[in-house]
Amino acid sequence: MEDIEIISMWKLQNEKIEQSLAINKDLLLEITNNKANSALRSLKSIKITGLILAVFYILFLGYLLSFAVSHYSPAWNYFLISVGAIFILNMKAIADYIRHLVWVNQIDYDGSITEIQQKLLRLQLSIIKHLRMMILQFPLFTTFYLSSNWFPGSVGWGYILLQTTLTGSFIAGTVWLYRKLRIENMENKVVQHFIAGSGGQSVRKAMEFYKEFEDFKMEE
Amino acid sequence: MAKTEKTELFLSVIETNKGIIYRIINSYCKKVEDRKDLSQEIISQLWKSFDNYIDKYKYSTWIYRIALNVAISFYRKENRRKTIATPINESMFSFSDRLENSETEFNLGFLHQFISELKDLDKALMLLYLEEKSQKEIAEIIGISETNVATKVSRIKAILKQKFLMLEK
Repeated sequence: MEDIEIISMWKLQNEKIEQSLAINKDLLLEITNNKANSALRSLKSIKITGLILAVFYILFLGYLLSFAVSHYSPAWNYFLISVGAIFILNMKAIADYIRHLVWVNQIDYDGSITEIQQKLLRLQLSIIKHLRMMILQFPLFTTFYLSSNWFPGSVGWGYILLQTTLTGSFIAGTVWLYRKLRIENMENKVVQHFIAGSGGQSVRKAMEFYKEFEDFKMEE
Repeated sequence: MAKTEKTELFLSVIETNKGIIYRIINSYCKKVEDRKDLSQEIISQLWKSFDNYIDKYKYSTWIYRIALNVAISFYRKENRRKTIATPINESMFSFSDRLENSETEFNLGFLHQFISELKDLDKALMLLYLEEKSQKEIAEIIGISETNVATKVSRIKAILKQKFLMLEK
């Protein structure tokens, strides 16, 4: 079939569509009155709920920190450093989260397809960057309960060995995950499992599209 | 512009260009439920962007840009329908006609099947080509060079021709 035949077939279809297609005016008016429930709006409300929970967590950490500072004792050094670092990492995570919410709000689809899709991909794949930062706090959960009054001075070698192995393996795991969590390693099963709990399906779709997008942009 | 005036103008723009939206929805969604959601999403985004419409572009170009962008990103949202508090059950469009010529209908069905199997960005390119948009306009809507548009379109057309040839055999 020649180009011209394909185009005229398409045109014939379009004429038929124009003649027979009716639009639901009531639904259209509902949308212009912002009464309809948009999928994007619902997604936003899920993010806002997550944000509120994260703020409560930060407030809790902040309370613990301020209590530890106001009742300072050198014995609490491990706690102060560990929880302080967890607090800073979570604050950064919340700031990023808010920035993403603002981006979602500001997305205007009126732009070239490559430009808008690139923006959306950046937004969807930013979860990987976010996760990389969040995993940095893992080893800190193995140190916050230590006390400089008893560790390492007044504990046995067995405990020192156990604690060092625990913290060491958390550090090694964190370094491994931090290095693995990259767009290029999305095929890795461990990475996929890790991302699965953080909107993995949409990240996977975004990844597939990222590859398609990179191929498409290339001049042939 | 007053709200009523703006709404009137918007409704008439949508009415005039409803075919474009309908064709994009049908090319990107197979399921009826998804079509309903995507039509609502496209119209919502068009309404949202209507204030910023710049008249240096034709309304059709503006609609293509927004509708294609929304359609391409639509499938990347996780559990879309589950997240909608009250999914719409009404359809935005109703269409009740068929092409009389059965051979044309068969070929059109085949063409639609071919389009639906294309990757998202190639699909956008093919739709714009079939709508007889100029290479310059396609390049503007997609955001790639005119030369790249020409190369990609001829590649897709070559595959399509080959498929039609196989069908005839």
